[in-house]
Amino acid sequence: MSDKANDFKSLDLTVGDVFSKEARLKARNVNVYYGDKKAIDNVTIDIGNKEVISFIGPSGCGKSTFLRCFNRMNDTIDICRIEGQITLDNENIYDSNIDVVPLRARIGMVFQKPNPFPKSIYDNVAYGPRIHGLCENKEHLDSVVEESLKRAGLWDEVNDRLLSPGTGLSGGQQQRLCIARAIAVSPEVILMDEPCSALDPIATAKIEELIHELGNEYSIVIVTHSMQQAARVSKRTAYFHLGKLIEVGKTKEIFTRPQHNQTEAYISGKIG
Amino acid sequence: MSKKFINPLEATELVKNSIKKRRAKDNRLRLYGRIAIGMATCFLLFLFFSIFTKGYPGFFQYYVTLDIKFDRERIDPKGDLSDTSLYEGEASNIVNESLFSIINPQGRKAKKEARKIVSSGKDLRIAKLVKNDPSLFGTVTKVKFALDDDIDSFLRGYINRDTPESERRISDNVIAFVDKLSQENRISYEFSDYILKGSASGNPEMAGIKGAFFGSILTLSVCLLIAFPLGVATAVYLEEIAKKNKITEIIEVNINNLAAVPSVVFGIMGLAIFISIFGMPRSIPLVGGMVLALMTLPTIIISSRAAIRAVPPSVRDAAYGIGASKLQVIFHHVIPLAMPGMLTGTIIGMAQALGETAPLLMIGMVAFIVDVPNSVMDPGTVLPVQIFMWADFAERMFIQKTSAAIIILLGFLITMNAFAIYLRKKLERRW
Repeated sequence: MSDKANDFKSLDLTVGDVFSKEARLKARNVNVYYGDKKAIDNVTIDIGNKEVISFIGPSGCGKSTFLRCFNRMNDTIDICRIEGQITLDNENIYDSNIDVVPLRARIGMVFQKPNPFPKSIYDNVAYGPRIHGLCENKEHLDSVVEESLKRAGLWDEVNDRLLSPGTGLSGGQQQRLCIARAIAVSPEVILMDEPCSALDPIATAKIEELIHELGNEYSIVIVTHSMQQAARVSKRTAYFHLGKLIEVGKTKEIFTRPQHNQTEAYISGKIG
Repeated sequence: MSKKFINPLEATELVKNSIKKRRAKDNRLRLYGRIAIGMATCFLLFLFFSIFTKGYPGFFQYYVTLDIKFDRERIDPKGDLSDTSLYEGEASNIVNESLFSIINPQGRKAKKEARKIVSSGKDLRIAKLVKNDPSLFGTVTKVKFALDDDIDSFLRGYINRDTPESERRISDNVIAFVDKLSQENRISYEFSDYILKGSASGNPEMAGIKGAFFGSILTLSVCLLIAFPLGVATAVYLEEIAKKNKITEIIEVNINNLAAVPSVVFGIMGLAIFISIFGMPRSIPLVGGMVLALMTLPTIIISSRAAIRAVPPSVRDAAYGIGASKLQVIFHHVIPLAMPGMLTGTIIGMAQALGETAPLLMIGMVAFIVDVPNSVMDPGTVLPVQIFMWADFAERMFIQKTSAAIIILLGFLITMNAFAIYLRKKLERRW
């Protein structure tokens, strides 16, 4: 045990395979600071094309912070500062000439708590296409809304009440509405920040199934507290600890044969 | 075992004992609360009772009905119904002749006194009648005229006929004339058509709040048009756009301080800046509205900021997350959600502005203005200032008029607040 602990301290590099052959998003030596506090320490990772990857780790390990770097949501926090490089299709998203508006249209996000707009179900889904001017007429918009709701597995439940408020749906339905809203702008990557933490097991199962299906069309990065969920939905898993990316690998291997003692400790329930 | 630990049986006993005390405290608190609410309600009821009992008669006044011979040559000598022609006519004399035929005054002094019985607005009334309906010419028609305010006060019982003549405002002669008129059933107590339709006047029987009412509407419109957009824009900027640093902190502290500045100070500032430096005319609703806008701005800014802060961050995240620009987040989500709160603040500010007198005195809106203002550039006055001026006049009848004007002001205020509540409920109910 003591040997392994010493081993860990001397290691500063991530264990496992951080790179991906078909990488869409590439993070290179990313550091994130909140004021003076370093929240993310030198993280390098690739997100592959049409790949579901989950970020796991104990609370406060920085996985959500890191997730929010991909669509620059951290920009809204004044004291947050980011170093390093994140590229989407080899284009640095932190470049000064990059506009966050089109970036966020390409990289959608689903939040921890379902947060539909206090508008109708239809308007919730139509909001993205409307502000980005994606649909030239009402029929087109209608079909986009329908398709998005279908992909999010919500169409059958709400097609008769599209004009009723989105906030009146159940928690699980709200979260699927948020997913529909995110995919309505045809993103390439969807970031999910603990999308099931506020939901009951049945709603969670539905969302997980949905993530599984969406994984065939989008790259999905999901932050989760539940190791079972990570095991169920993702092909790759990244384990974070105290702002460091400890280990990345195929989900199966991470959960069966973790290479790093920290990872092992976490998945066996010793820490976290 | 440690000695300090409490035995469970003792603990139950102790809790039982302490519960009595706690209950007593609860009951006492409830009692204090009820006393406080009871007192507040009493004061409020007393206030309303006194205003309504005093003000209600202000809406009525005494009229005398006279048979008027509409002689075109005497009323309208030029025959074109123009203002100058009617002014040159001798309508007053016709009215007096009709009056004299009833009361029959003897001697110069009695005649002079008799002429004052009917309000001095009699010629204007006749002019108005013939203008509206020229077919009256050549007929003899019954017309109602307001009685002079002293007669009115006498009829209301404020002037006692047992008081010695030298201490009364009306003479024995006049009392006799009035008695004669009431015997002939010519005196009636009716809803006043001056209080709502009349403007400022030195004759209390002809004074009304029309000018002040429109002055108030114009002033408040200017105030709202300036203060609401400015206040909301400031609040949005401070909450959503500005970085939190020393400068915004200083601005914030100063806005909070401004909310507590006495209103008269804003009046002096308006006088110094708008009138002295920019050379704008005095007494106009535009300047009044600008001064009141400055006064209400802090209230609107503070409540709007609170409303914006209450918009859940998750909505902003959602909008940013889907790629909305800052402007879209503000206009599509933050402002609509904060609108009910912003409106509440605005209405509170407007209600304050509606009742404000002091700053308007400073910029000259206390002037005696007979004409109803037609635009924000016409000199005018506002309801509270009108009340203030009437309260200052000596004539007995102004007391009722003052109370009546207060009722109208309160009515205006309640209507405004009710509208605000309706608007807020409507905006809130959407979701």
